[in-house]
Amino acid sequence: MPAPAADVVLSAQNLTKRFGERVAVADVSFDVRAGEVFGFLGPNGAGKTTTIRMLVGLARPDRGTIRIRGLDLATHFEQALSHVGCIVESPDLYRYLTGRENLLHFARMLGDGAAGRIEELAALVALAERLDDKVSTYSLGMRQRLGIAQALLGNPDVLILDEPANGLDPAGIREIRHLVRSLARERGMSVFVSSHLLSEIELMCDRVAIVHRGRTLAAAPVAELLARVSSDRLLVRALPAAAAAEVIARFGAVEPGDGDDREEPAPEVVARVPPERVPDLLRALVAAGVDVHTIERPEASLEEIFLEITGSQTV
Amino acid sequence: MKFPGLVENEMLKIAKQRRFRVVVLILVALIGLIVYGSFRARDRFHVKDWHVEAQERTAWLQGRIRDSRTPPTALRWFRFELARLQYHLDRNLDPDAISGPLFARAFANHASYLLLPLLAIVFASDIVSAEFAQGTIKLLLTRPVGRAWVLGSKLAALLLAITLTVLLGGLVAYLFGGLAFGYRGWEAPVLTGFRASGQGVDPSAIRSVALWKDAVLAYGLAWFAALCVGAIALLTSVILRSTAAAMGTMVAALIAGSIVPRLAPSWEAQKFLFVTALPLPDYYSGSPPPIPGLTVGLAVAVLAAWAAAALLAAFWVFTRRDVLA
Repeated sequence: MPAPAADVVLSAQNLTKRFGERVAVADVSFDVRAGEVFGFLGPNGAGKTTTIRMLVGLARPDRGTIRIRGLDLATHFEQALSHVGCIVESPDLYRYLTGRENLLHFARMLGDGAAGRIEELAALVALAERLDDKVSTYSLGMRQRLGIAQALLGNPDVLILDEPANGLDPAGIREIRHLVRSLARERGMSVFVSSHLLSEIELMCDRVAIVHRGRTLAAAPVAELLARVSSDRLLVRALPAAAAAEVIARFGAVEPGDGDDREEPAPEVVARVPPERVPDLLRALVAAGVDVHTIERPEASLEEIFLEITGSQTV
Repeated sequence: MKFPGLVENEMLKIAKQRRFRVVVLILVALIGLIVYGSFRARDRFHVKDWHVEAQERTAWLQGRIRDSRTPPTALRWFRFELARLQYHLDRNLDPDAISGPLFARAFANHASYLLLPLLAIVFASDIVSAEFAQGTIKLLLTRPVGRAWVLGSKLAALLLAITLTVLLGGLVAYLFGGLAFGYRGWEAPVLTGFRASGQGVDPSAIRSVALWKDAVLAYGLAWFAALCVGAIALLTSVILRSTAAAMGTMVAALIAGSIVPRLAPSWEAQKFLFVTALPLPDYYSGSPPPIPGLTVGLAVAVLAAWAAAALLAAFWVFTRRDVLA
């Protein structure tokens, strides 16, 4: 579903990057629309960071073009990047400067009154009280938030965040998620977020592209993606195991578990049961006098999702 | 126009790091040590009262100048020397004694080939590599500022820092030298323009100038040499992306520069090395050049060529290379 061009804020077409023999990014294309949170999902080493480095002009693609608000990054570097705020990999700032000095430093690189937004942004990322402390005294979460304040200084149309949840505690991750959602909803900002965790992308993003071994799939809404990959695997722990397996076999295939049952109340059985038949299965198990301890639907791994979607074993 | 803001950024980073304070400390400690050493050594020379000595020499010179048999080249020399003695006697100064201004002037010569280049290297070698080491290069180069402007602002800040260092060196040398040897004597005439010709000295170019003019020139040359070293060190910082490696390379080059003329004095091509061209104030005041054919003009040209080539290469690499650190 091609979006109308005016709606696309960040567009990558056929990006390719080689390091010697190794192809880090192969023919990656996607469009990020105005006001959406776009997830870039892939396992570590899939080419996410290399792609982001190309998006922000740190690395030159061997092939392909990047357009930001229609401006080609290769030919209009300064104008294109004036619409972008970013954090690449870790939020590295000058540790020997205070938070305020760091923000002033990057405001000077923007000009046009960016320095006037420092107070407002510090309040937004809840750093106002520590703004005059040296960054070397900040926690990782605070540096991440200062990094976001820095990225927002230029009032960008696109915010690019590389693994923003890395190294943060659950509370920190939640804060970042809320911030990202509210930036998109209240300021109409487009946010490009990379992650290796499906759960994180699921909670934060509107649409997602999956990257695997340097290749991407066409972007799709998160719900659509989850629906496509929802697997029929069920993990059942029940006693007695033999009776449970017998009942389950009437509903679908039974596979042995991974055998790691040491701290579990009952051995694991893997069942292939379609979601709509699960209530019937449970009733049947109870009727047969089986004690069901746990029943869960495991999240598909990125690898599985990728293979599921491409339907190919040769990637 | 963002450029002044960018230079302000770079100056802030230089000033906020410990390096600038260390450089100031090195200058103060080193000059203090030298002044103390020469102050202690000074008292041993005097056998008789310098007033008597200077008057005897004045009388002798006056006799030789009146003497019609004195050759014209020597006459020039005697007149210079007489004027110099007269200047000191008029002001009740010991003509052979070192003064604060003289000390400050001599410091330019001695600092130009090792100390000032070294301090320039301290600033330059991490001005780019530190951004890589801290990871801040990723932010610096993703702002809407072209890479050439980023490096240009770093170059401007570097030149400013080196300029401040040279000024500070001269100022501290004068303050400390003056404390030990007196602050007066900037107007004293000094002889300059010695030029080697064949086996002897060609006296035709010798002239007498006020010490302060001589000092301004000497510091200007030392400053220029330090700037050129800074430009070359900037290139090593860009290419090596490691402060330690960049500093090591430059210091090794400096040391080589002080060894090569001694070990291979007859190798003529060495005059085209930037390290042998560094003691510009020496070449200017006419201490016999250790390398045949290396005049102050050629040395300035050699340094300028090296610095220009280094800057071209630094900008070329910095604006093109992928940042994957």
